[in-house]
Amino acid sequence: MELIYSIFIKNGGWLTILHGLKVTVEISALSLLFGTLLGSLLCFLRVSKFAPLRIFAQVYISIVRGSPVLMLLMLLFYGILARVGIPPVAVAVITFSLHTAAHVAELLRSALMALDKGQVEAARTLGFSKWQAFKLVTFPQILRIAKPVYQSTVINLIQWTSVVGYVTITDLTRVINNIASRTMQPIITITGGLLIYLAISWLVHGIFYLTERRREQ
Amino acid sequence: MKLKKAAKLLLSCVLAGALFTGCGGGQQGDGGGDKPAQSGGEIKLGMITHLNATEKRMEEVLQMVQEETTVPVTKYAITYYDSYRNLQMGVKSGSVDEASLYKCVADYVIAITGQFEVAANDPVKGLADSFCFAVRKEDTALKDDLNKVIDEMKADGTLDKLIDEYINQIDSYVKAEGEVPPKVDIPMTEGAPTIKVGVTGDLPPLDCVAGDNRPTGFNTAILAEIAKRLGRNIELVSIDSGARAAALASKQIDVIFWAIVPIGEKIPADIDKPENIEMTKPYFKDDVVHIKLKK
Repeated sequence: MELIYSIFIKNGGWLTILHGLKVTVEISALSLLFGTLLGSLLCFLRVSKFAPLRIFAQVYISIVRGSPVLMLLMLLFYGILARVGIPPVAVAVITFSLHTAAHVAELLRSALMALDKGQVEAARTLGFSKWQAFKLVTFPQILRIAKPVYQSTVINLIQWTSVVGYVTITDLTRVINNIASRTMQPIITITGGLLIYLAISWLVHGIFYLTERRREQ
Repeated sequence: MKLKKAAKLLLSCVLAGALFTGCGGGQQGDGGGDKPAQSGGEIKLGMITHLNATEKRMEEVLQMVQEETTVPVTKYAITYYDSYRNLQMGVKSGSVDEASLYKCVADYVIAITGQFEVAANDPVKGLADSFCFAVRKEDTALKDDLNKVIDEMKADGTLDKLIDEYINQIDSYVKAEGEVPPKVDIPMTEGAPTIKVGVTGDLPPLDCVAGDNRPTGFNTAILAEIAKRLGRNIELVSIDSGARAAALASKQIDVIFWAIVPIGEKIPADIDKPENIEMTKPYFKDDVVHIKLKK
């Protein structure tokens, strides 16, 4: 007990952990926001009838989705954006947004493909405009189909952000590693860190569960 | 229904855990703990990996060390870990029998955990590594400045004082303050140019991060002294040890810490030095010791 106190709480240790947690959540939330927006756009391009745009989206998705996010991050921070002088957290948000976008685009496309084409056609014959058909028929169903996969994308994203220590950011993982090295109690410390990540992902799960319930009521 | 499911899950977890620990115990039994050392078998040794040396290169170097010093290093089966905290888990779980460490790190570990001891009849007596700074090759001015300051600090006894304060008194400050080496304030000079130094927090008491997230340790004390003498600002950049070389090469940081193994004539100081970096003079030298779990 005393050991746990000295590892996680003593000398403002809990504040440091909280700060690391804040950085992790910050990067994850921003990346999720931008990644989702960009991903929707990408999905739109991916299914467009104009071939160059479609091919662009296809190439983007196949490259970004297939590359390890850590290498993408290091390439951007130490290579492409090294001279620009933007803060590391911004580089991390850019990287994770780009990476999440590719995944979101694909999960939206798979939801689109799962949809019965006949419904849109029926709506169109009934005199709905293209936009109305999308808004009233396609969109609500996509949301429902994509939700479970989106949830796991969110949780994956949070875990991917644990590599930002490589670009001089002190996030939750880095704080935990520092504590493990200093206190020489890696097993207890890492278990503690794991529990925090677990709590976040359960929180995400809980939020999704609540929205699900509200819809059913 | 849900309860039943949960119970099943729990049970399978427990079973898996039991199986896992059972296997671990069995393996240890097969290995016979510390017995095979006496019967001429190899001792499984964990080492911290060198940043830029492949395992093959390390093998050659160890062979050279053996020829030079007659320390029987090649009787060990070596596993490389990328940081000390992973190495310690390796020792605790029994995947290696002993850990090869710098003496000051070993002292720190033994003082703080109370679970380790120096391996009996320590076979590596006389092996020592030196610590220095590494800078980019083209930063010759910075290298000269650092060398000058290191020489000055050696000459006027500051270095010895710091070594005494941060290295020799590990026991006393671990007992007094709980864990961290005394903190240092790096003096700031308004408007002076800044040197960015990468710190990993992975090698206490040389380089670690205190509970309030401030880098501390012997290295930071040296840096504070250097900042004072050069009249420049030093910014500590916390970075994962695996990314240090990339950060240095891409000018995100200017200085990293480097360990060198100069022994005799045969083994050059730069066994794992990449092309594009230069090393300063060493500011600290420490023996290598092996530690193992207390029985």
